[in-house]
Amino acid sequence: MNNGDKRITRKDFFSLVGWGGILSTLGGSVLGFYRFYFPNVLYESQKVFKIGKPEEFPEGLSEKWKKERQVWVARNKSGVYVMISICRHLGCTPNWFTDQQKFRCPCHGSIYDIMGNVLGGPAPRTLWRAAVKLDPVDGQIIVDFNNRQDPDPVSTENGLQVDEASREIEPFFLKV
Amino acid sequence: MSNLLQRVSDWVTSTQVYKAIFRHGYEDTPRNRSLTTFSNVLYHLHPVKTRKESIRFRYTWCMGGATLLLFVVLTVTGLLLMFYYVPDTRRAYQDIKDIMNVVSFGSTFRNVHRLAAHGMVLTVWLHMTRVFLTGAYKPPREFNWVVGVILLTLTLVLSWTGYLLPWDQLAFWAVTVGTKMAGDTPLFGVEGPFGRQLGMRQDNDIKFMLLGGTEVGQNTLIRFYVLHCVVLPLVAVVFLVIHYWRVRKDGFSGPL
Repeated sequence: MNNGDKRITRKDFFSLVGWGGILSTLGGSVLGFYRFYFPNVLYESQKVFKIGKPEEFPEGLSEKWKKERQVWVARNKSGVYVMISICRHLGCTPNWFTDQQKFRCPCHGSIYDIMGNVLGGPAPRTLWRAAVKLDPVDGQIIVDFNNRQDPDPVSTENGLQVDEASREIEPFFLKV
Repeated sequence: MSNLLQRVSDWVTSTQVYKAIFRHGYEDTPRNRSLTTFSNVLYHLHPVKTRKESIRFRYTWCMGGATLLLFVVLTVTGLLLMFYYVPDTRRAYQDIKDIMNVVSFGSTFRNVHRLAAHGMVLTVWLHMTRVFLTGAYKPPREFNWVVGVILLTLTLVLSWTGYLLPWDQLAFWAVTVGTKMAGDTPLFGVEGPFGRQLGMRQDNDIKFMLLGGTEVGQNTLIRFYVLHCVVLPLVAVVFLVIHYWRVRKDGFSGPL
């Protein structure tokens, strides 16, 4: 062997190949372990589903789909929106009180109005609204549960508010 | 008759098997006592020298030992519960009811498991409080404090993963609330800082990885079951071994 030479020696080459093999095996295994934990098929309730035609929901709030699909359907003067029945504090299910026109969460007392704005309690953000669209064939509302509107609220004297006009946009609002 | 017993006893203690197990006899000499201690796997965990003051009850409160005792109790009762409990969302709750109402001594073993779990969290805190108050975390025992913090975390996660297994309303909502924190992880959680900007969604973030879905369900139950019964206890045993080995190497702290 020529010691003064700066060429890669046989020893260096095999050291490089050896360590490269070990490290790439470890790295590949780590990636494999990581990816393994993300299931490709879910046996959960459907996350994209139909809830009926807009005409079925009169002005105000409907709790019809809360138990089965974890959503509220609300209608105001200009259209329909769908809110997700998950409290933004720690994920419990708030209750709707028709007499007070408020949502109240039984866990830690967060209070929301019918638009999802926070009126009180520990909730840090407003209720999620799910993406909605109309099925062109049967005219039913299709809800995409995992596509959620989550605007940054403004802190006011009355709680955390979001400008309603900025919220009533596609795909989170159905003009009727 | 006593003559016969003496002869049997003499014969037993003279066999090769007996001598292989009881190696040093009763001879009360300093050398023999040291040999007995050094060659015994349990005794040798104790430091070579221990000050009289530092093994007084009111110095240690025996809280480290109490924690180990509870860990052993939890392992034994937990193994027993595994014979009747199946982590399937359709029957887990019924299995717990069977254990409580139908299985002989089932309610005893489950209650001991539950109470020991609460007790272990308590004794770990008291043990660490004692170590802190007596300054036993200072050099040369700093590394063992670090191992202790890991063991504290493992205790809490073990307690939390066991919480889901009864699959009742309390378990479901406690874990729903508890895992919501995972969604707030910076970068990797959909609700954490920069999560959304990095493309995190409900169905690909770190909470999804923990739950095995977008909501607490069958995948979550089996994940927590495997973590609770296999992964975390094994990791805890590894760190316990390191913990005791460090106690032996560093010696007991205590007044001079």
